[in-house]
Amino acid sequence: MMSEQLTEDFRREPPTPLAPRPLNLPAAREATLSNGLGVVVVEQERLPLVSFRLAFRSGDSSDPRELPGLTDILTSMLVEGTETRNSRQIAEETARYGATLNAGASSDQTTVAASTLSAYTDEVFELLADATLRPTFPEDELALAKDNAQQNLIAQRAQPSFLASEALARVLFGEHPYAVVSPTPESIDAMARDRLLEFHRAKFSPSNAVLFVVGDVRRDAVLARAEQLFGAWTAPAVEEPHFPAPPARGERVAYLVNRPGSAQSNIIVANLAIRRTHPDYFPFLVMHTILGANASARLFMNLREEKGYTYGAYTQLDARRHAGSFRATAEVRTAVTGASLKEMFYEYERIRAEDVSEKELTDAKAYLTGVFPIRLETQEGLVDQLVQQRMHGLPDDYLETYRDNVQRVTREEVRRVANLYVTPERAAIVVVGDAAEVREQIAPYAARVEDFDAGKK
Amino acid sequence: MSSTLTLPHVPVEQFTLVNGLRVVFSEDHSVPVVSVAVFYDVGSRNEREGRTGFAHLFEHMMFQGSENVPKAGHFQYIFNNGGTMNGTTSSERTNYFETLPASQLPLALWLESDRMRSLKVTQENLDNQRDAVKEEKRLNYDNRPYSNAFLRLNELVYRNPANAHSTIGSMEDLDDATIEDVREFFRVYYAPNNAVLTVVGDFDPAEARALVERYFASIPAQPRPAPPDVSEPPEVAARYELYRDPFAQLPALMLGWKVPPRRTPDFYALSSASDLLLDGDSSRLYQRLVKGEESVVAIQGGLGERRGPSTLYVFAIPKPGHTTEEIRATIREEVERLAAEGPTAGETEKLRNTLLNDAVRGRQSTLYRAQRLAEFTLYDGDPHLLNTELERYLAVTPEAIKAAVGRYLLTDNHSLMEVAPAHAAESAEEEPAPAAAEPAGEPDQPGSPPPQIPPKPPAEPPPATQTETVTESSRQ
Repeated sequence: MMSEQLTEDFRREPPTPLAPRPLNLPAAREATLSNGLGVVVVEQERLPLVSFRLAFRSGDSSDPRELPGLTDILTSMLVEGTETRNSRQIAEETARYGATLNAGASSDQTTVAASTLSAYTDEVFELLADATLRPTFPEDELALAKDNAQQNLIAQRAQPSFLASEALARVLFGEHPYAVVSPTPESIDAMARDRLLEFHRAKFSPSNAVLFVVGDVRRDAVLARAEQLFGAWTAPAVEEPHFPAPPARGERVAYLVNRPGSAQSNIIVANLAIRRTHPDYFPFLVMHTILGANASARLFMNLREEKGYTYGAYTQLDARRHAGSFRATAEVRTAVTGASLKEMFYEYERIRAEDVSEKELTDAKAYLTGVFPIRLETQEGLVDQLVQQRMHGLPDDYLETYRDNVQRVTREEVRRVANLYVTPERAAIVVVGDAAEVREQIAPYAARVEDFDAGKK
Repeated sequence: MSSTLTLPHVPVEQFTLVNGLRVVFSEDHSVPVVSVAVFYDVGSRNEREGRTGFAHLFEHMMFQGSENVPKAGHFQYIFNNGGTMNGTTSSERTNYFETLPASQLPLALWLESDRMRSLKVTQENLDNQRDAVKEEKRLNYDNRPYSNAFLRLNELVYRNPANAHSTIGSMEDLDDATIEDVREFFRVYYAPNNAVLTVVGDFDPAEARALVERYFASIPAQPRPAPPDVSEPPEVAARYELYRDPFAQLPALMLGWKVPPRRTPDFYALSSASDLLLDGDSSRLYQRLVKGEESVVAIQGGLGERRGPSTLYVFAIPKPGHTTEEIRATIREEVERLAAEGPTAGETEKLRNTLLNDAVRGRQSTLYRAQRLAEFTLYDGDPHLLNTELERYLAVTPEAIKAAVGRYLLTDNHSLMEVAPAHAAESAEEEPAPAAAEPAGEPDQPGSPPPQIPPKPPAEPPPATQTETVTESSRQ
């Protein structure tokens, strides 16, 4: 607006890029310890730092049916006491090195992670091994963890995003363990030390895990130290679980979660989709990028930049080990709940009915190949990529070929996967909001509107 | 052994264009990416009465097109060339940044310069972004537990409206913002001599310097705006308020102390004190309250760093059967103990190694360095502080910690907010008795949204004190 000055011609068009600069992918080399544990090491001397991650190929979905939350509570308790250290000693020792040590689980993975200045590599490596291999799950610490878990169960119900993910998982996955996103008061009550010890022995097996070490280390030294710390660890192999299939969906149903007084409606439109190893992954990834992955994609441009319904509207490609889903999400003011569904389904129909443009395809590929190296700037980002590759059993050259795999996707494939997986006629709609205000708005967009009650199985 | 660690030096090259734009370069050829940051010296502290939230609403307008870039073109150009980007607003400044493949440095400079010199605004775009910002407010504050209570705490801590009001602002003030406000704000604050540009990553400095000159040098300077008055009246009054939260399921307790500005000797000492009390599972308050007494589900807190008076805050979720009064008394005891005894030898070692680890780990990212360099240049006129500032923190002595804790945390200069779940409070006969503090002198403001903090309870850290243009979308 302040342009009294003459426009300079060189500003009219975006500038041409400089010469590309090569990405030298760090070399990740894997070795196997005497007990079968795989160890992946990347030597990176750039900064005096080391990152460790020990990842197991099983997570919350392996919980016994009657004990949802077992893996979570077990994992959180790895740092609450070992044969030689109590909870406070673990916390204080880790902090004294300026290091971090934490453990967590997702649906298909359990990880114990540590990071430190390289000066304390040996010490922190030992802490990681101690927490992983020799937890004792002390009774008093377990009682406290259970008590706090009960409070967290109550607290999380204040978050509309939690209520939405809870309802969606339930309706989309049915009897499949992905349906469960949190423990129950009864399952927390039932957690007992014996169960934790037994489950730890059964699931924490070297055959089920890979150890990643990235940073200012020497590979030989890491392998020697790993052999000392983990070499004697043995446990029976963990069998790949078999889960009931998620229910097939035949019609579009809306599930309404009543949250009186809500300032917004949280909307999710979802379909079952693919596993992470499915051959359609790359075309799907490109389609998702065009439809809703970021703030330049169709959903965001429509619902926010054109309509002003929301702060953000996105799609999510959630391709996991045993099943997957594809979702469109937006948090919108109550009055435009129906109007937002209309636009979401408009975009769903459009990407199925018409080929994406050549420019959209090129742009999506540029996005995916361009942000790839940005993720490799940090040790944590690099480990994330390596974990994904090893945990899902993706090809050894996955990182090397990632950008080529993106580049190979065609417009025809994008349209094909859109028609296969973006299926509005079978979508589940979840809305968390003020039911009295939104029920009528939702009704036109679904065969029926069901009230979702989390308390009912 | 940590004493032998030398922090890797971040190279710094700085120069100023004829129009007053301060520029900082830092080369790093590890990964073929480049980060560009532009920081403007304007934040919510510059907002006038009746226009709260305007600096942030304006930030959204910076993505709505300029002479040669269409509406939302910024998003498109960055993402469609393989980059990531955002803009954020805090009390202190507004920043814009992007990380791109190294070859796309000219694109970033073209985009940033075009909006610095020729922002375009239309009523339609203003209305559209006003709507987006209102949804941002609903998403991050109005529809969440504890967030608005945290904003309210800030209004108790500060007496000067420039410090007290939130970055997100009020719905009423957002409604009142006009096109003329946008034009005037742009003229006054978005001048090259009120900004800093940093470039970090894989680039050739000579080539980059020529590009910066080409794109930015012809943007005219403006008179420098007067700095806002962020001074706070001296006071000793403790404040108390009960906040009925419509969405909270569990009660909560928030404490806030007004503390000295960043980069002052007492601030460094209080930063160490805050870490000892609140940082992680080894911290004193975690060990005492979550573990020892088992009286809270979670506790978190830290320093809100500002150029003017800053804040130290604590957020805790009491367990059933434990009163706010009791928890507050324990916190007070721990603060007194720190003032009397100072840190242990083990804690001193912990502080040192944690500072070193955090400093080195942060530097992995070009964007982190670009932002820190911009901040030090904008606030302090010295980008080299990225290399030297750590020494100030490492130099804090146990005596300095004791003295600062005694001087700032054991006074009546603090505020207490109790959050009661509204559904529970309605059925309770009375409000919880105000703890030892006096009732707030602050009048209620019916109709206007109370204040906020943003934790997602138990497991999540308190709220962002800044707002941003887009949320980062999921990555695959």
